[in-house]
Amino acid sequence: MFFHIVLERNMQLHPRFFGRNLRENIVSKLMKDVEGTCSGRHGFVVAITGIENIGKGLIRDGTGFVTFPVKYQCVVFRPFKGEILEAVVTMVNKMGFFAEAGPVQIFVSNHLIPDDMEFQTGDMPNYTTSDGSVKIQKDSEVRLKIIGTRVDATEIFCIGTIKDDFLGVINDPANA
Amino acid sequence: MSLVTDSPVHSSSSDDFAAFLDTELDSKSSASSASDDEAPNQHHSDSAASSSPDQDKEAEEDDDSDFQSKRVKRSKVETLEIVEDDGGAASLASLKHNSEVSISKEICTHPGSFGTMCIVCGQLLDGESGVTFGYIHKGLRLGNDEIVRLRNTDMKNLLRHKKLYLILDLDHTLLNSTQLMHMTLDEEYLNGQTASLQDVSKGSLFMLSSMQMMTKLRPFVRTFLKEASQMFEMYIYTMGDRAYALEMAKLLDPGREYFNAKVISRDDGTQRHQKGLDVVLGQESAVLILDDTENAWMKHKDNLILMERYHFFASSCHQFGFNCKSLSEQNTDESESEGALASILKVLRKIHQIFFEELEENMDGRDVRQVLKTVRKDVLKGCKIVFSRVFPTQSQANNHHLWRMAEQLGATCSTELDPSVTHVVSKDSGTEKSHWASKHNKFLVQPGWIEAANYFWQRQPEENFSVNQIKN
Repeated sequence: MFFHIVLERNMQLHPRFFGRNLRENIVSKLMKDVEGTCSGRHGFVVAITGIENIGKGLIRDGTGFVTFPVKYQCVVFRPFKGEILEAVVTMVNKMGFFAEAGPVQIFVSNHLIPDDMEFQTGDMPNYTTSDGSVKIQKDSEVRLKIIGTRVDATEIFCIGTIKDDFLGVINDPANA
Repeated sequence: MSLVTDSPVHSSSSDDFAAFLDTELDSKSSASSASDDEAPNQHHSDSAASSSPDQDKEAEEDDDSDFQSKRVKRSKVETLEIVEDDGGAASLASLKHNSEVSISKEICTHPGSFGTMCIVCGQLLDGESGVTFGYIHKGLRLGNDEIVRLRNTDMKNLLRHKKLYLILDLDHTLLNSTQLMHMTLDEEYLNGQTASLQDVSKGSLFMLSSMQMMTKLRPFVRTFLKEASQMFEMYIYTMGDRAYALEMAKLLDPGREYFNAKVISRDDGTQRHQKGLDVVLGQESAVLILDDTENAWMKHKDNLILMERYHFFASSCHQFGFNCKSLSEQNTDESESEGALASILKVLRKIHQIFFEELEENMDGRDVRQVLKTVRKDVLKGCKIVFSRVFPTQSQANNHHLWRMAEQLGATCSTELDPSVTHVVSKDSGTEKSHWASKHNKFLVQPGWIEAANYFWQRQPEENFSVNQIKN
């Protein structure tokens, strides 16, 4: 799920960035520091959409660095247990398949793939129904349900399932 | 910095955020207070102010969990789970949550984990159990029962496609690498002969400047992989590190047809300085191993086809204590059509054929290790060998590795001379047995003859190993 929220961060800046471009420097450093990171609470910071305000700087003793408290708006992405997501399959093997929804890595074990889909080896490993009508392989798009999440400092892991109604392949690159 | 961004990543924090959302969605009436709660810390620049509501919540949680543990009387782990899960949400929601957890716990055996979550029920697991399969995907672990189950289903699948497993070593088996700094003056000319990395399917000598290495693929290796991929599901298993292994896999398999997520490196093994089949998802009775180091496969010697080492670079020769000129220094290479890989491919074909054609009626009892033994026994069939001045006198002759090797190759070994002896293996043409051999017109060969037969799986022409030739 995406959220548009306000977050805050203290930015430490070297004195060489002071001057007329101070504000831009703070913003560009903020983007570099924050975009693409994860936090357990909010999930993945996708993009900064605006700056609410930049507070008064505080000079650090001894170093000359200055700390600015910055409030910014950003779009965050965080998967939840029970959420339905659309994801792109990145790897298929006998244990199941891995998929990605943006930065989120999702594993769907073969216990959670419908029983009528069977694993086929080859240079393009895939899961196929017995009549061959549905095929999951690399780059397929699937709709899945998240049943477990774990957030690391830099990564989000999820366990997903497609063993439920209305879940499974939504777009097959082979048929496109 | 604010508490929000800096708060250590804790498993509960994500769930309580979710719980907040749940409650907010449930009760519209408390929307204003919930929204305050939902993103509590974002609006407080002051960390002290934002931390106090958290403490209140914790107190609430404790009450909650006490209440619950009395009611449910589950294991400690689960009470912990509850504390983590409900995180100050309405008690109704937490009750629902709790019942869900306990149901899945009763059914799920947690066959494996991905990022410490069970791959079936999605529950966070505390212990790190099972075998890691980092080479397939980071954070993937499987329990023993699951491995057995996967091996069994995979085996059926594989037999239907008439394939077996083949584990390939990299260094000295399929290729030879050297550090740029270890290259000798005589090898300088190679710098001008490297193939471009843009199109690795051509050429066999590559300069990997990012790793400060030069790599030479063994002659015939591309044909070998192509042919072998028809008969085997192939893995790479190397003692090199992961980055190196993947780089080499790219050179050998630019189209990613053969080794897709089947590259196992030193970092993935379960034992130090040992290679094991426990991280390979294949049944041992269907695995063949191609490696130059017998000691790396202590537990799986029966699956092993020992390769003659490929030394192209001088540094690799020195490493194994050879002081002769290396192939690179002589500006030559192994023969493409009669090299080690070509002869091993023939052996592989033969084993594959026996396994699938001659043993067709006995599907379940088939074991590739038995086949390997039978094929090996054919190599020196009919030879009767007597050794002379090969073993130290005080040691037991039939414990010597040459003796055992000869027997594995199907020869009979003896200590006594009699008319049925066909070969005398000796290092010296001056011994009594050597004289006997030349007198009775028997083959007199060096010990290398047996080793060569072992590597090439073929009886070698005795003339190439005659003892006199060397002496003269």
